[in-house]
Amino acid sequence: MTTERKDTAANLDEALERLPPTIAPGRDLWPQIDARLEPRGARHPRRWFWPAAAAVLLVVGSSLITARLLQPEAPTVASQPAPSPDAGAAFAAAAFGPGQTVGPTYDAAREELVRSLSARLERLPPDARRQLEKNLAELHRASAEINAALELSPGDPLLEELLLNAYQDELAVLANVNQLAGGNGAGATNDPTRMQL
Amino acid sequence: MTIRDQATPSQRAAAWLAAVAALAVAPAALAGTPINERAPADSAGKVEVSNTAGSVAVTAWTRNEIEVTGTLGTGTERLEFSSVDQLTRVKVILPKQSSRVEATHLVVKVPAGSSVSVNTVSADVTAQGVRGSQRLQSVSGDIQTEAAAEDVECKTVSGNVMVTGSGQRGLLTVTTVSGDATVSRVAGEVNGNTVSGNFAIAMGDTVRSRLRSTSGDLGLKGRLAPDARIDFESISGSVRLDLAGPVGAEFDISSFNGDIRNCFGPKAVRTSEYAPGSELRFREGQGSGRVRIKTLNGDISVCNK
Repeated sequence: MTTERKDTAANLDEALERLPPTIAPGRDLWPQIDARLEPRGARHPRRWFWPAAAAVLLVVGSSLITARLLQPEAPTVASQPAPSPDAGAAFAAAAFGPGQTVGPTYDAAREELVRSLSARLERLPPDARRQLEKNLAELHRASAEINAALELSPGDPLLEELLLNAYQDELAVLANVNQLAGGNGAGATNDPTRMQL
Repeated sequence: MTIRDQATPSQRAAAWLAAVAALAVAPAALAGTPINERAPADSAGKVEVSNTAGSVAVTAWTRNEIEVTGTLGTGTERLEFSSVDQLTRVKVILPKQSSRVEATHLVVKVPAGSSVSVNTVSADVTAQGVRGSQRLQSVSGDIQTEAAAEDVECKTVSGNVMVTGSGQRGLLTVTTVSGDATVSRVAGEVNGNTVSGNFAIAMGDTVRSRLRSTSGDLGLKGRLAPDARIDFESISGSVRLDLAGPVGAEFDISSFNGDIRNCFGPKAVRTSEYAPGSELRFREGQGSGRVRIKTLNGDISVCNK
């Protein structure tokens, strides 16, 4: 090492010695950085998030269907013109596991049954009507629950079988109640309040 | 002083009670129009009955004629009673416009071999001694009947169903939305479907049974025929199968979240290391029967008792 280089190194050492051991930043940057960071949970979604979200969506959708189904109808409902084809848009497509639906045929059949039942609901005794409302919600809840489970275990044959049957059961219930509410002497009356049921 | 003045407190109370009773009975006496209809009928004809509110009681007898008695509720338009060839119709007709219609009570006597079909809204339905097929439906009324060898179908929304068999093999189908079903002393084939109703079935020889529920509990006690087929399914209801006598069948049981209890010995195993689910497959005895039970959350119990 030459004398000139030794002097340079000594100067550097002296300069470094003069520096303070810590330097505080001119302004506190962390609050801004922290605010711009995504919440930790959002960056790493838990496994249950999407199934739960799907379940909530299904329950809400099903509840809307039930609410529509059981909405008190005006006495003149039977003489109203048939709903337009767009009415089907009000029905959520029945899900069948992640990213799948049961299909338009099922949705159309359910819509048709619900529309038909709406006109006949007024003939049901109030208690039976409440029971029907409660049990249709139960069916929807069951379908949502199986769908949520399918998110956890896609392709599970047990879940797929249960879900398929749950949808069939829903159609069967709608068809049965349609038949019960419209297939006997009850059809002769339009005003259930005048009957002692 | 009158006799009334001389009455003791207990006599006055009795007089008041009599007056109140008379007032209570008077509207009842005026409430309905008596029904009395009768017509010859085929010994194995078909009888259709429909009523909205009140009751329908069908009873079999040995005569080849149909008799309808009871009371027609106030406000009812009329009772339609017709008998043509092998078909007899009994129908309570309600008016198009009326402020109030009282319940109608029908008592229908039919030849024992008749096939009977009853439809009601809230009227309870009972059938006794009918040997032909039965199709009994009510929205909220209860159904109570006896099953023989012919097919019996009971369907309700919220009404309960009770069926008592005679031990003869037949086909029984029960469908409810929320109504419970209690079935005893039947044999052959029993099928049931409900959303939230609880089904309790006691059978003799069980050839086939298919029960399904959403949240209702399902229970069956019976003796498996050699080639029996049992198929139970529930989402959140529990399932219980109690088998009597020697059992020869292959069992296929699985549940996603429910517990599986098996008195025959083998234990259920997990279907996946990472997801819920358990299944139990085993064979018991030499028969060729098959038992299949599936649930999502409902517990399953299979026992020999």
